[in-house]
Amino acid sequence: MSSPLFTRGGFALPGTTSQFKTGTWRVQQPIHRHRNAPCHNVCPAGEDPQAYIAEFDAGHIRAAWETLVSINPLPAITGRVCPHPCESGCNRGDYDAPVAIHSIERFLGDQAIAEGWPYPVGKPAADAQAVAVVGAGPAGLSCAYHLLRQGHQVTLYTALGEAGGTLRVIPGYRLPDSVIDAEVERLLQTGIDFRPGQRLGRDIHLDELRGEYAAVFLAVGTQDPRDWSVGGVTPRDLHVGLNVLKEWMAVGSVPQAESVAVVGGGNTAVDLSRILKRAGIPDVHIITHNGLPGPDSLPGDVMRAVPREIEQAVEEGVQIHAHRGIRRLLLRGEQVVGVEMVHMKKLPDASGQLKRTAFEGTETLLHVDQVIPAIGQTIDPAGLEAILNGSAYLKVDEWRRVEGHAGLFAGGDGCSRGGGTVTSAVGDGREAAEAIAATLRGEGLPGKTVSEAIAFDALNPHYFEPLPRNEQHILPVEERIAEVETEQTLDPAQAKAEARRCLSCGNCMSCDNCWTLCPDSAVLRLQDKGATEAPYRFDYDYCKGCGLCAYECPCGFITMKEEL
Amino acid sequence: MTDTDDKALLKQLRVEQPRFQGIVSGHRACLGCGEALATRLVVEACGPDIMIANATGCLEIFTTPWPESAWRVPWLHSLFENTGAIAAGMEAALKAQGKSTKVLAFAGDGGTFDIGFQALSGMLERGHDVLYVCFDNEAYMNTGIQRSGSTPHAAMTTTSPPGKVRMGKRHLKKDIISIVAAHHIPYAATASVAYPSDIRQKVRRAMAIEGPTFLVIHSPCPLGWGHDGSLSIEVARLAVTSGLMPLIELERGELTGAMPIRTPHPVSDYLKLQKRFAHLFADDPKAREELVHLQALADYNIEKFALHSLGDDPQDTDGADTVTRGGMRYA
Repeated sequence: MSSPLFTRGGFALPGTTSQFKTGTWRVQQPIHRHRNAPCHNVCPAGEDPQAYIAEFDAGHIRAAWETLVSINPLPAITGRVCPHPCESGCNRGDYDAPVAIHSIERFLGDQAIAEGWPYPVGKPAADAQAVAVVGAGPAGLSCAYHLLRQGHQVTLYTALGEAGGTLRVIPGYRLPDSVIDAEVERLLQTGIDFRPGQRLGRDIHLDELRGEYAAVFLAVGTQDPRDWSVGGVTPRDLHVGLNVLKEWMAVGSVPQAESVAVVGGGNTAVDLSRILKRAGIPDVHIITHNGLPGPDSLPGDVMRAVPREIEQAVEEGVQIHAHRGIRRLLLRGEQVVGVEMVHMKKLPDASGQLKRTAFEGTETLLHVDQVIPAIGQTIDPAGLEAILNGSAYLKVDEWRRVEGHAGLFAGGDGCSRGGGTVTSAVGDGREAAEAIAATLRGEGLPGKTVSEAIAFDALNPHYFEPLPRNEQHILPVEERIAEVETEQTLDPAQAKAEARRCLSCGNCMSCDNCWTLCPDSAVLRLQDKGATEAPYRFDYDYCKGCGLCAYECPCGFITMKEEL
Repeated sequence: MTDTDDKALLKQLRVEQPRFQGIVSGHRACLGCGEALATRLVVEACGPDIMIANATGCLEIFTTPWPESAWRVPWLHSLFENTGAIAAGMEAALKAQGKSTKVLAFAGDGGTFDIGFQALSGMLERGHDVLYVCFDNEAYMNTGIQRSGSTPHAAMTTTSPPGKVRMGKRHLKKDIISIVAAHHIPYAATASVAYPSDIRQKVRRAMAIEGPTFLVIHSPCPLGWGHDGSLSIEVARLAVTSGLMPLIELERGELTGAMPIRTPHPVSDYLKLQKRFAHLFADDPKAREELVHLQALADYNIEKFALHSLGDDPQDTDGADTVTRGGMRYA
């Protein structure tokens, strides 16, 4: 623009204000900043539900599934059995009700099974370094898959005849075998060298594996029932929870009894009690030191089973005696005829540690024909004696390296950081695979810093509407039988509606709010407008830095940065 | 991406925005100016086939710093008092030439409620095919925040300071929409920058009508109201959800639409964000009385226009600004 011509009469060449850069006024600038959604930060597997729900909401179902399985290769399985801490963390819980993330995860997993989508992973190079994975449960499968994604050759050993490990002792009404088969078989087709029937300490030996492979990942799980007795007494015909479950899964029979007390508060105890109910035992009790899950429960004093499973067990007639301990077994000869229970609670002691306390004068008797402990298992030491050194678990560091043994990694149940769930086992496998790959490349391991999750306060709730949560259909009690899943997968319309409920915490949802509300037209929209990546650019030549876009961003994706 | 590539992309993007850009960047409005936003939204909804008569005021000043102009449509600066008359003349001239270009008149609340009122009334009475838009920021902001007929009761301005005798402005905000509607015109409505979709609907509605139409858009002034520029939308939204700024439509003088309020906010939520009402939160019986007075005015509006939402309505104050992935709200 040439300089304006000033003549008598105030004549000026026309010019536009665009030649005046109001951006020079600015003392703070808006920037796009991705922040972690709380669901992402709390997921034991490391999933980023916000990311795949966004893909799904944008109509890209397969891309959503691929984003999901880039972290967790078993979504149809974890979508069914995970206690979903993601939903407890979900910011939408502060608005109306959390997004049913587990239902969406399950829907995507089932969709992939129905469509036969192959896992997004290529075949490893012929000269790629080989890694052995021992154990084909969720941790082993996850590690093998992620090693493959990192370009390694993987051999996966299991002592059992098929892959699945602990997944195979979850009853069919929760996790049907067909789902395990569908997911695991497709996973094994990715190029994993799968060798069933290879027991550690019998068919394969750790020393040999360590000689043969560049690294070894141990995902052996826990197989030995914990010792159980009451004051040194154990019933003669003692059945142990996990074994009863295994027997039921294999041959469909349970110990004969009129009334049974299951001891324990974890998933095994709850699964077992529901199986016993389904097998026709009229009177099934659960006795647990811990409390029922509720809003007031202390984190260390609540049953470890998934809350909705506990709820369904109660619906099915299982009687739960919470906050009770067994003081004494009532025996006739060596045959159990009942138990003496006492009220118990975990109370903080002087140092603030929760400690079990029994209350005198609260003893009650419960007449039962069978007592089945389901108080957990420990690692089977066969083949691992040298590493375990008498310990009940494998000691690992934050990258799942077995302490003091280079090239040896471990995860899942049976190691010191085991989270006790399928999902945490999947996370262990993935993190170990990352550590193995980095180690084999000769790189150092990155620090484990997780950026803080975005809080509900950082969102702008004005721009959202309350929407009812889409719940999975639950069979009425009278229709619940062993082979049929109690909860049904969402139908596509429900799943889509549920994905729409996501608040997209910390990530752009291309809603056009910033573009619409900027008084200075300093937010520009890109033409090829993606739905999951921010299709906007700030025009800093004109942006005055008022901060309106940041305040009004529904997702907390825009932050103001000081610029002086 | 290199710096030069980036500059080239921005340059291209500026001309390729998928919306009509009747007013361009570089204008000198303050940070977070509600009026600048409201103007852009109106012009966007109108499209290019318009001519604008613009009264003296902030809008006229900040869009046309000599020798530049932010306007990309024919635009004429009228005097403070004669926008209605100028727009009427433009409309008559276009009609005589057989042209269908729509004429708009833009003015602030000073130019509408007070100084330009008789010209506006005449324009309405003669039935000119003009859409008159009043950007209501509730005082003479351009000249240094003097009270206008639109300044709400109890607000502080430089000419209505709070003191021993009075708590800010003594009088009430003039009910301009009723006065305008009393001209029996086809369409008159109130809107707020907090609800852009609502503004668009109302502008399109008015543009489709042949005859005088009137829109008043509540537009926060961060400088004059004393709030941070980032809060302009929040403040405007609270004016609506508190009931102080009812969003209504009147056709031929009759009420035909009102945006229901889903969850009415206490007026103090709205007032406490603004320094012009800070004196109402002092420990003083007069201040307390005026707070209750303003709440009563909001309650009166809610009652008069039956603003209580009957259940969740997608068109109520909470539903109307809902966004979805992909920006379909603004389609």
